[in-house]
Amino acid sequence: MSILDRISNLDRRIVFVAVALAVIIPLLIPVGLPVEVTPPVQKVYNVIESLPAGSVVLVSIDYDPSGAPELYPATLSVMRQCFARNLKMVVIGMWATGVPLGQRALKQVALDEYHKQYGVDYVNFGFRPGGAVMLVNLGRNIHDVCRQDVYGTPIEDIPMMEEIRSAKDIAFTITFSMGDPGSDQWIWYYHARYRGNLATAQTAIGAPKYYQYMQTGQLVGLIGGMKGAAEYETLVKQPGLATIGMDAQSIAHMLIIGFIVLGNVIYWFEKRRKK
Amino acid sequence: MRRQLPLAIIFVMGVFTIVTNFIPAKPVADLNQMFRNWYLGIITFFTFLGTINLARVSGERLKEKSRDWQYHIILLMALATQLFLGFYKWSPDALREGSPFMYVYFNLQFPLESTMYSLLAFFMTSASFRAFRARNKEALLLLLAAVVVMLGRVPIGSSIWHGFPSVTEWLMSYPNAAAKRGIMIGIDLGLISMSLRMILGIERSYMQ
Repeated sequence: MSILDRISNLDRRIVFVAVALAVIIPLLIPVGLPVEVTPPVQKVYNVIESLPAGSVVLVSIDYDPSGAPELYPATLSVMRQCFARNLKMVVIGMWATGVPLGQRALKQVALDEYHKQYGVDYVNFGFRPGGAVMLVNLGRNIHDVCRQDVYGTPIEDIPMMEEIRSAKDIAFTITFSMGDPGSDQWIWYYHARYRGNLATAQTAIGAPKYYQYMQTGQLVGLIGGMKGAAEYETLVKQPGLATIGMDAQSIAHMLIIGFIVLGNVIYWFEKRRKK
Repeated sequence: MRRQLPLAIIFVMGVFTIVTNFIPAKPVADLNQMFRNWYLGIITFFTFLGTINLARVSGERLKEKSRDWQYHIILLMALATQLFLGFYKWSPDALREGSPFMYVYFNLQFPLESTMYSLLAFFMTSASFRAFRARNKEALLLLLAAVVVMLGRVPIGSSIWHGFPSVTEWLMSYPNAAAKRGIMIGIDLGLISMSLRMILGIERSYMQ
């Protein structure tokens, strides 16, 4: 068997080990590559910066633990910016398995870091089923959809919700989304009816779909994948998990490119040999 | 009657939903709101129905000892445990930091699901080595675009050449958005035609 054949029939376990090493080594020995901020992420940041203190931000946690490595760091960064600017926050979620993620993020940022008061500065209504129909109802009357928060407190007993009644009272909405229901429903059903500032944070695999909505003005910005989250961490000047992950992702991408080139070189030689 | 009744319900509700989009005034809007509330009630019930169905199917597999039946034991145990931890009145509540529910969620469910998703990277690398070939000009173009995007989406790309992120943004904003838009229009046209077929009773496969 020639070297070419050997490489061509490379055991995929070798590929797997190479990927594992490409991820693990940079995590253990970080290089600290500088993260450049791209326009879609900068736009999200700018919109939040432009909101006056006391404005209401609606955050939707539309992902589960599988999307958390990419979306959770972005959730933390956006929350940090909002609470640093003294914005009020209403949290909901269209994924039942994402509720604890929203809870933990709020505890870490709102409670531990910014010492905000639950019910006055932020509230979590948890899982809201119904996808598109729920969003249509939410924009019309939040009190109809969110009758009690995650602790079972009736909405009438939550002080900050007295003045927050419909989409008109929301200054900015952001969905951290990894699938369906998620960004699509927010754009097609919520924004189409109630307008306002809407942004999304997406997993890297889902992000390309949402560039078209930025051109049409349906989205004010987009945070794509772990890179987008790292960019946001750079903007809020608090590097975290996404920034740490950038070195690993850089090396992993280089490895994949290397394998693609190698695969094509073999293909080219095989083609020549057959001729 | 077993066929006519569902067809009639779908026809009436389908036509009503389309019409109400153009009549936002009372009493049509109120009626529409009522139906939306019904939908929310039904969809919430489906979560319950889905859980029951999952338990039933797993129970049957377990009884028959069909292939990989052992996994169903784990599934049922996990289902029962999280249900118990979620519903039981803990002090503090199930969703407060430190509760058994949150403990199991962040120490079992979280790492397991994240690991499952991250496995994609391994298979994608293996697949890119074996299948991503520049067989013709179009494939070569796609391959080059993919390489540029991969470099533009990571910091090492801008360290190699500062133009990679800008080129990536251009690729995403124009060729990618144009293609995505075309695909979306195609999907939506298909969706509209399928909806019409269902409303008019031409498409009946959902009843089988």
